[in-house]
Amino acid sequence: MIWIGDQLVSPGPGGVYGERMIQGCRLWSPARSKLAALYHLGGGVELTANHRVLYLGAANGTTVSHVADYVEVVYAVEPAPLPMQDLLVVARQRKNIIPIMGDARLPEAYLSLVEKVDLIYQDVAQPNQAEIAALNSKYFLENDGHLMLSIKSRSIDTVASPKKVFKDEVKKLEGDFGVEFEVLQRKELDPFHEDHLGVLARMFVDEEED
Amino acid sequence: MNPDAGKHLRSRSEIGKPASPPVLPLPYPMVLIRVQYPLLDMKPTWFCDADGGGCHPVAPVPAVLAERAEELGSSGMAGLPDWELAVACGFAEDRLQYLAVLHETALLIAESRLQRALEADSPELIRMVKMLEEIDSAVNHLSERAVDWYRAVNPAFSRKSMVPPGRKVRDLLRDGSCEALQDILDAIDQLSERRSALAKQVSSKAAAVLPNCSALAGGLVAARIATEAGGVRELARMPASAIQVLGAKNALFTHLSRGTPPPKHGVIYQNSAVHGSRRERRGSVARVLAAKLAIAARIDYFRGVSDPAFIARAKEAIRGAGRIR
Repeated sequence: MIWIGDQLVSPGPGGVYGERMIQGCRLWSPARSKLAALYHLGGGVELTANHRVLYLGAANGTTVSHVADYVEVVYAVEPAPLPMQDLLVVARQRKNIIPIMGDARLPEAYLSLVEKVDLIYQDVAQPNQAEIAALNSKYFLENDGHLMLSIKSRSIDTVASPKKVFKDEVKKLEGDFGVEFEVLQRKELDPFHEDHLGVLARMFVDEEED
Repeated sequence: MNPDAGKHLRSRSEIGKPASPPVLPLPYPMVLIRVQYPLLDMKPTWFCDADGGGCHPVAPVPAVLAERAEELGSSGMAGLPDWELAVACGFAEDRLQYLAVLHETALLIAESRLQRALEADSPELIRMVKMLEEIDSAVNHLSERAVDWYRAVNPAFSRKSMVPPGRKVRDLLRDGSCEALQDILDAIDQLSERRSALAKQVSSKAAAVLPNCSALAGGLVAARIATEAGGVRELARMPASAIQVLGAKNALFTHLSRGTPPPKHGVIYQNSAVHGSRRERRGSVARVLAAKLAIAARIDYFRGVSDPAFIARAKEAIRGAGRIR
């Protein structure tokens, strides 16, 4: 990751959403992006030019554009039509963004286009976030691939305490869905985003044959 | 053996990926057991067809590929794409070219899915309702400010007894005592007229997009519940119990977190069958109306045409709920 002073930036042509430029790099603000917040808190995996990324919940393509600055290719999945309009504009400018209009709960709908990836980043506001992550990992994540997850407790239970929701959700992720994950990091995204948890996990693969 | 298959075999082994034992029915020659990619089991991908042990690349024309990928996706037959296979079978020269064609193809697919979603979900209706609500609140705020202003120059004026509801208040302020205010009152009146026109447009749009819901609840209420639900599609997927309290968010969450009595109705209160019924029947009417709206929303979304027989039955049920037994 590229830091200028204590500011996270990404290298690439600016003017995607009116972001500030610092020394020719695009400021990647933790206040706008949960992924940037995770990096600011010392979490996340180092993005490299070799990475193939599946991005679930791409929304308007703001964070996607920053990820695309770092990696080889981003498969950006977004179900809603209006954010998709914005995402398409971003994808036309950045050739390494593969836009996919589809629902992350139904990976069969984009199975025909997405290859195996090294990293899945998921930011969807759904009650079954862990399950969605596991399902997509099963299809698309390489062995030893990483999963970065931004869990929004308010989408899972509006009433329960976020801490409890986070605990349950991480526990579910660790073994409820036939894919096992080793959770490497968990960081609450305060003060950048309230009631959000950033999780980094590695898919756990059984050492069978050989 | 197919020459393509041999080429493919080499390129895979060079990469040195771990071998997965192919599931091959006998009697294939033993040498094939060492094939690293289960060629004979291979599913078609967006860029190539597989049959008879070889793969046949599709011409790299994005429009053709987009159509093919959509068909494959809905058939459930598609295999996970592998760029090395695409290169091996001659679809692309290298990964760069593979990604470039994929990018163009994905753009086309996304554009056509977007087009279809916009037609089916009619987000325009939802935007119209949001505009209507915004204009409503603007007119109210501006009217209040106008009264404030008028009061400042007319010490005898009290808003306690002298402020009539609706637009009449603005006529009351037009007594010439405050000249600068007149133009602003005209502008508010104009905005208020636009609001009425827009409300009619929302109604007729709702009658086209949500014919069954509109017949039961009225165009405006139907449009509002669709907006609260987040779209026509979302409304069609919503249980009746949720439709009943759409628009009563605060009451619902206070109920959930603090155990206050649950709300009986949200937006559907605006329907005359609900607010016009006796207090003690209102909950029942709201429940039945919501139940029928849930069915109507599904007919609207999945069939898209009015169903007079259903509407007649539903209306009878709603009337029945309001009767005192």
